[in-house]
Amino acid sequence: MNYFVIVYYALLIGGSCLAAYFKRREIFLALFSLTLASFVMGIVGGQDALWAVSIAAGLLALAAGTAYAFREFLVIISGTETAKALRTAPLTASFGMFVIFTYAVLGIFAPVIAPFGEGEVISQSFAPADENMLLGADQLGRDLFSRIVYGARNTVGLALVATMIAFVIGVLLGMIAAVKGGWFDQLMGRIIDVVMSIPGLIFALLLLSIFGTNLIILVIIIGLIYAPRVFRLTRAVAGNVVVMDYIEAASLRGEGMWYLIRREILPNSTAPLIAEFGLEFCFVFLLVAGLSFLGLGIQPPTADWGSMVRENATLISFGEITPLIPAAAIALLTVAVNFVVDWMLFRSSGLKE
Amino acid sequence: MGDVTRIIITRLGLGLLTLLVISVLIFGAVELLPGDIAQAVLGQGATEENLRALRTELGLDRSAPVRYFDWLSGAIVGDFGVSLLTQSSVTDTIAPRFANTLFLAAYAAVIAVPVAIILGIIVALLRNTLFDRVANVATLTSISSPEFFLGYILILYFSVKTGMFPAIAKLSDDLTFIELLERTFLPALTMVLVVVAHMMRMTRAAIINLLASPYIEMARLKGTPAWKVIARHALPNAWAPIINVVALNLAYLITGVVLVEVVFVYPGIGQLLVDAVTKRDFPVVQACCLIFAATFILLNLAADVGSILTNPRLRHPK
Repeated sequence: MNYFVIVYYALLIGGSCLAAYFKRREIFLALFSLTLASFVMGIVGGQDALWAVSIAAGLLALAAGTAYAFREFLVIISGTETAKALRTAPLTASFGMFVIFTYAVLGIFAPVIAPFGEGEVISQSFAPADENMLLGADQLGRDLFSRIVYGARNTVGLALVATMIAFVIGVLLGMIAAVKGGWFDQLMGRIIDVVMSIPGLIFALLLLSIFGTNLIILVIIIGLIYAPRVFRLTRAVAGNVVVMDYIEAASLRGEGMWYLIRREILPNSTAPLIAEFGLEFCFVFLLVAGLSFLGLGIQPPTADWGSMVRENATLISFGEITPLIPAAAIALLTVAVNFVVDWMLFRSSGLKE
Repeated sequence: MGDVTRIIITRLGLGLLTLLVISVLIFGAVELLPGDIAQAVLGQGATEENLRALRTELGLDRSAPVRYFDWLSGAIVGDFGVSLLTQSSVTDTIAPRFANTLFLAAYAAVIAVPVAIILGIIVALLRNTLFDRVANVATLTSISSPEFFLGYILILYFSVKTGMFPAIAKLSDDLTFIELLERTFLPALTMVLVVVAHMMRMTRAAIINLLASPYIEMARLKGTPAWKVIARHALPNAWAPIINVVALNLAYLITGVVLVEVVFVYPGIGQLLVDAVTKRDFPVVQACCLIFAATFILLNLAADVGSILTNPRLRHPK
């Protein structure tokens, strides 16, 4: 028994007792089951296992603290209407917003933040981390940290552009189909059914094998593959709006299709569409990362998270975790967007009832 | 039963039609190639003579519809033509690899389906508790992670650090079944992690949807014990959504398998497809895409038919 183990159990048991005293049943259950589990883990894994638990708990607390502070910050700087909505946001959602904010800053100011250029060879291949290079060098001797920062610009930027293409096509066609109805609606529905019955990754691979891996083509292909999903949702949402009385009033007034879409339907379906944008972004982002990982997405020497994982994967067999950092960056952003989308979906469904 | 049979036959017909349209798409996409296949294979510097020779060899001098029907009738009986690179039969290359992929997917499914459904029902029953919230965050994280991230984490901890399982899924013919399961454990586990998360979330949503219906409330109000509410009232109606969830996720497995196979260097059809795409071996790409699409459609069809068959309202029409 050393001090760490004693303090560890003292904190856990003290915390459980406090939670029980203040009748916070769930917190008590969580803390006390963690205590019981720690007995087993301590016996099996020794002190290291307890350290791992403490580090995980510390990280969780840090994330929760950041999320809490960021939410307060947002509430203070935003207007009253937004502030009211933000105050009800769960910590996961504000954590997601914080992460998205950080990535945006990284991407926009990449050349300022990164100490070296993305293609700059500054050292030997796979050189370990030193005071110059935070995370060491990659397979060609480029600074890994700088490349990760630039990756925030390239990978996320590409995914954003592709999502926007998918969104513009999907929303436009979906709205027209909902307003016009008839043969156009039927035809679009059938085409979408067929396109959606091919798995996205497979479709992308087929098209890439034909058109080659060119950035512009890549963005257009991904946009086209995901447009049908946006179309489906837009068609469903707009379909519910089109039957409203005020739409009938507007069309009796003699308003054209564009007016109806722009001034009547779009403002009344923004909430689900914004949530869908977040979801689509996650899918597109994972597809881009997957394609780059397969060597078919963004081409070197442009820094990109997916291909960075592939290029440095050999390091994993030496027990290094650096190749996992870009992959973790992908996962973190997707989780963050999902957290925010979850909250928005909850809000929009709550407002409807 | 007349109604149900008719609905199912319509669905099967629609599925077949979709597959036909997709085969046109897959074949037509290659026709869109700038220049043609011969040009793409031989490159810009090819002489006119060589091009002509290759075109005759590949049968490109015939019109596109003729070649399409040729390709399709071959594909139906399992003949996908000849690889551009190795000159060997595409079917012979694909068949053993497809079997490997199916084995991996089945391995993952056998673990994932029961775990996901049981956990999904538990989470649905414990909804809005701390456990539910933790499960929500955990599954969301798992869904959001790229497959290669999960795969490499598993390699790092189970293979490099502890050496419990091999990192590379090398297969040979003389393996016993147990050895085979051990060799392919990590790729299967990667897919299990992703699919369980998806399935759990969908099962949870389906069950919660169901538990909100009036007849469940009625059963509770008349004092039926909780297990009986689940077993007698909820479960018969839950089969349709659960079967849907399972089939959709198996279809998802088919796509996810590509990345997982590449991470673990598993000799499956996904890796073959990626190789063929890089080397622009079109007959192989077409064959792989057709097989993936067919499996995907088949599983979606199974979901449809399963939910029709288990729907009490359709089985006992008024």
